[in-house]
Amino acid sequence: MSNKEDILKRYRANVREKFFDERSGKTGYDMPDLSDIKAITYSDKLVQFIKMTESVGGHVIEVKEGQDINKLVKEMYPDAKEIASNLPEVTIATRNPDTVGRARDLNGTDVGIIRGMFGVAENACVWVPQTMKEKAVCFISENLVILLPKSQIVNNMHEAYKRIEFDKEYDGYGTFISGPSKTADIAQVLVMGAQAARSATVLLLPE
Amino acid sequence: MSTGHSKAAKEFLKNQTYSKWHDATFWAVRTKRDNMAYGLDEWEQLREKASQIKRHTITHLDEYLDQFAKKAEENGCIVHWAKDAHEFNEIVYGILKNHNVKKLVKSKSMLTEECEMNPYLEAHGIEVVETDLGERIIQLKGQKPSHIVMPAIHLNHDDVGELFEEKLGSEKGNHDPTYLTYVARLSLRNEFLTADAGMTGGNFGIAETGDIVVCTNEGNADMSTSCPKLHIAAIGLEKIIPNYDCLAVFQRMLCRAGTGQPTTTYTSHFRKARPTAHPMHIVLVDNGRSEWIGNPEHWEALKCIRCGSCMNTCPVYRRSGGYSYSYFIPGPIGINLGMLRDTQQHSGNVSACTLCLSCQTVCPVKVNLGDQIYQWRQQLDDFGTANPQKKLMCKGMSTIFGSSGIYNFGTALAHWANIIPSPIINCGLNPWAEGHKMMEFPKKPFHKIIKDLEK
Repeated sequence: MSNKEDILKRYRANVREKFFDERSGKTGYDMPDLSDIKAITYSDKLVQFIKMTESVGGHVIEVKEGQDINKLVKEMYPDAKEIASNLPEVTIATRNPDTVGRARDLNGTDVGIIRGMFGVAENACVWVPQTMKEKAVCFISENLVILLPKSQIVNNMHEAYKRIEFDKEYDGYGTFISGPSKTADIAQVLVMGAQAARSATVLLLPE
Repeated sequence: MSTGHSKAAKEFLKNQTYSKWHDATFWAVRTKRDNMAYGLDEWEQLREKASQIKRHTITHLDEYLDQFAKKAEENGCIVHWAKDAHEFNEIVYGILKNHNVKKLVKSKSMLTEECEMNPYLEAHGIEVVETDLGERIIQLKGQKPSHIVMPAIHLNHDDVGELFEEKLGSEKGNHDPTYLTYVARLSLRNEFLTADAGMTGGNFGIAETGDIVVCTNEGNADMSTSCPKLHIAAIGLEKIIPNYDCLAVFQRMLCRAGTGQPTTTYTSHFRKARPTAHPMHIVLVDNGRSEWIGNPEHWEALKCIRCGSCMNTCPVYRRSGGYSYSYFIPGPIGINLGMLRDTQQHSGNVSACTLCLSCQTVCPVKVNLGDQIYQWRQQLDDFGTANPQKKLMCKGMSTIFGSSGIYNFGTALAHWANIIPSPIINCGLNPWAEGHKMMEFPKKPFHKIIKDLEK
């Protein structure tokens, strides 16, 4: 017998012995109804999302109609030498995560620019499915810039998990990102910039 | 009469400045957790749902495991099943050997601690680099974690500063946490770029989609899997949950309960390897779990999502530290998991509980932690691990409390003990006098007071 069958058989037998109910003929507990969870909602999701992003150490900039994001990023990071992105609207990129030879060639990126699908008001999470060949750009960059349409904010994680989707081409990975990489592992002192991006800025795009 | 835990706790308490800091630090984390919980009207509803989901899932886990494995294989992952720690270590080593891996970077995984994977791999010539900052610190120091979420909490910034001066060549005397974190960042960055494989644990496995979900603040799980060409994910059987609707409940609670944050920075879903890497491997580990589910009093320990909130709130953990427990997971959940693992080795921990039940009041999935500890205590005699001195005392007390004549006689005479000089009564031979002064017995016992009032 394979390990899998062996383990599952033992597990099943022990569950049956302890949880089989002769009267109902059922084994174990039922799945609860989750549709009645009274989850938090916000009168202004965008305001809450901005507030939460700032509280987790991130930044938010509302991009005005017609404003050029390339110019904006340049103003935000005047000293940035290496900018990585595969987004067509980003013209200032010096590196492309789709065409680098190896993921590690993205090391030394000053600013990485990626796209988020939607934000979550309760905790500032932004859903970022992998949409590039090397996802390293999302973590290896010193500073991360996430472009997010400002109409795309949901209240909470229940709503978020109803709508997450992976990319069609790069369908193996997706992540929620809420603020910059951080740690408090040295004496419980909060420090921004542990192993991944040291700063995270969400650019809220007009429709 | 002292248990292993209380002896170790005595050592911990010798450094009063530190032990006070430890207590206050965890109480602050508990307070942050409270603020998060009170910030959501639905918090108690979420706890109840989380508990029900877990009860359902672990009593149907064979079905969900099968569904998860099939889905993961459909996604292109290679799924392995390990019945115990040794088999797990062999499987991991086998994968690494096949890919000619010299260096492995890994994110935090209590499962690999449970299986003592690092020493096994190192003995087989593989360099293992922990990438969670806390884990990296204790790895460099040659120590074990003292908390499951904050593994290096037993060290202060001077300890870490001196360690980094020696191991990472940091500036002498600069013990600023921001600077030290930056030094570790540079050093670990180099490890990420030069490793041949990355390993992650998993907070959740999703049966419906085959996703492995990993929650970190540092982004080290994502860094560990972004550059190396091979990703191995290792999870215990009980980490599998049915679907995204269930995940939403747990994702909302894990970090709020554990560290008092609204979420971890990263909640990452790994479904298959990135396009430029080898297929992803998933190792599902039993190591006792398929037996524990049948344990009549303790099966609910399998509901645990390893948030750490029970240890943060525990008055005994806060005042005795992680190293006072004999099992590698400390605090209320560690007491229970340790006993499930080996009653002979870990019975000393069950005394590390005041039965205040704060743990099960904060537990986001409502594991009945304190009730279980109480149950273990009732079984110590069966395990042959009951303390003989305490047993004798209990027998004596049964005799005294079982007979009103002996009881009244004793309490009437007890006040004569007051005239025994303090150096004699408070000496080492009287176990009661250890840590507290002997009490003064009243001349008039309580029963007599009541009787006189009734006259």
